[in-house]
Amino acid sequence: MEKLLDLLTGIRPDVDFENETALIDDGILDSFDVVSIISEIDDVFGVQIRINELDPENFNSALAIWNLIQKLNKNIQQ
Amino acid sequence: MAFFKFHNIRVAGVACAVPKNEVKTESYKPLFGNEEVEKFMQMTGVRSSHRTLEHQTCSDLGFRAAQELLAHMDVDSSEIGACIFSSHSPDYRRPATAFVLQYRLGIPKEAVCYDISLGCSSLVVGMQTVASIMNMGDIRKALLFVGDTAGKSVYPEDRSSAMLFGEAGAVMLLEKTDNPNDEINALVRSDGSGYSYMIVPGGGYRNLHASEEVVMCEDGNPRTLMNSFIQGTSVFTFTIFDVPRLIKDFFAKTETTPDDYDCFGFHQANLYILKQIAKKTKIDFERMPITLDRYGNTSGASAIVSLCDRYGSDTENRKIKVMACGFGIGISLGATSFEINTADILPIYEDDAIYEDGLITDPNQLYEKK
Repeated sequence: MEKLLDLLTGIRPDVDFENETALIDDGILDSFDVVSIISEIDDVFGVQIRINELDPENFNSALAIWNLIQKLNKNIQQ
Repeated sequence: MAFFKFHNIRVAGVACAVPKNEVKTESYKPLFGNEEVEKFMQMTGVRSSHRTLEHQTCSDLGFRAAQELLAHMDVDSSEIGACIFSSHSPDYRRPATAFVLQYRLGIPKEAVCYDISLGCSSLVVGMQTVASIMNMGDIRKALLFVGDTAGKSVYPEDRSSAMLFGEAGAVMLLEKTDNPNDEINALVRSDGSGYSYMIVPGGGYRNLHASEEVVMCEDGNPRTLMNSFIQGTSVFTFTIFDVPRLIKDFFAKTETTPDDYDCFGFHQANLYILKQIAKKTKIDFERMPITLDRYGNTSGASAIVSLCDRYGSDTENRKIKVMACGFGIGISLGATSFEINTADILPIYEDDAIYEDGLITDPNQLYEKK
């Protein structure tokens, strides 16, 4: 989780990722940010977030993103 | 796996033209706000682009480029056996624009002419098509036209696209040779599941007379059904994952590495995407010419625009090995490799000429005696 928070802060240092829970719903992250996050997650965690996972709910908080990574990681391992 | 290897065919030369009218991205600040425009410029790298006049078309630009290229190569249009226009910006709904170019350039009636309906991948898929025609037939020389005037179908207040596109027309001369070392490789892929990611939904035969009422779309941008829609995030994710995979597969198929290429003539989608692709495929970004800053995303012409920008004024005549890559609307993507002499890469021309005879504003013009 710490690695993810570092990654997110690297992209948007101005956002409080530890506490924000409506990153998409409140328009804190825009599509450029989401794309940057997806690309970085691929580089850092080796997880490819595909189009069908682009549900705003998956990006509203750092925890939601973390859960998505865990879910996709599990799918890869299975 | 759609992989092709052609021998005895070479890329003899390339040329391109852009409209004279330059639009600075900064000029959108009053419309979209300073912060939005600054972020856009930082992310995409687009600081200005060139836009056509109302009745100026991609084929007008390609025509100028072809005139320059044929003169430079000392090739008479009577030698051309194939004229292929690969674009989403035809002059008319029908007939194909290739016929207009054939007529204007004086290409003989024995030539094969048709259009390929593609956008950002039009160069790589066009090369695969033209090389296949030449490989199987008796054609010695062929012209492949690429490019778009994508800005014409963008709603002017659509912040997702209004600042992105530039307009250009480009041409490639392919030639059959007796040298088996002359080689073109092509790897082509398609993913129809993304057909709606980039689309102009109206005006085709599914909805010929679509409403032109302006609708505020869920992404916060106004558009009509006759405008371009781009689902940016979907396109980004496809590009970031599928394009690097294609490039890696191309290296494997051709048994090459990034070090084997002098230049990566890649579609100028946007700067962020190109940097990501370079990083993920270990391509030296310095060898990837960038023209986004001055010409924007020029769709299928962008690889040639970038080659012309980097080598068009090169005074040395040296052979370079180029890998080209195109990806976008369709979804369609592909990569090619070829060699070309830098002396046969012409500089970027600026042109505002319009084919006046082709502009039909009154139906009775069609019945006038010539």
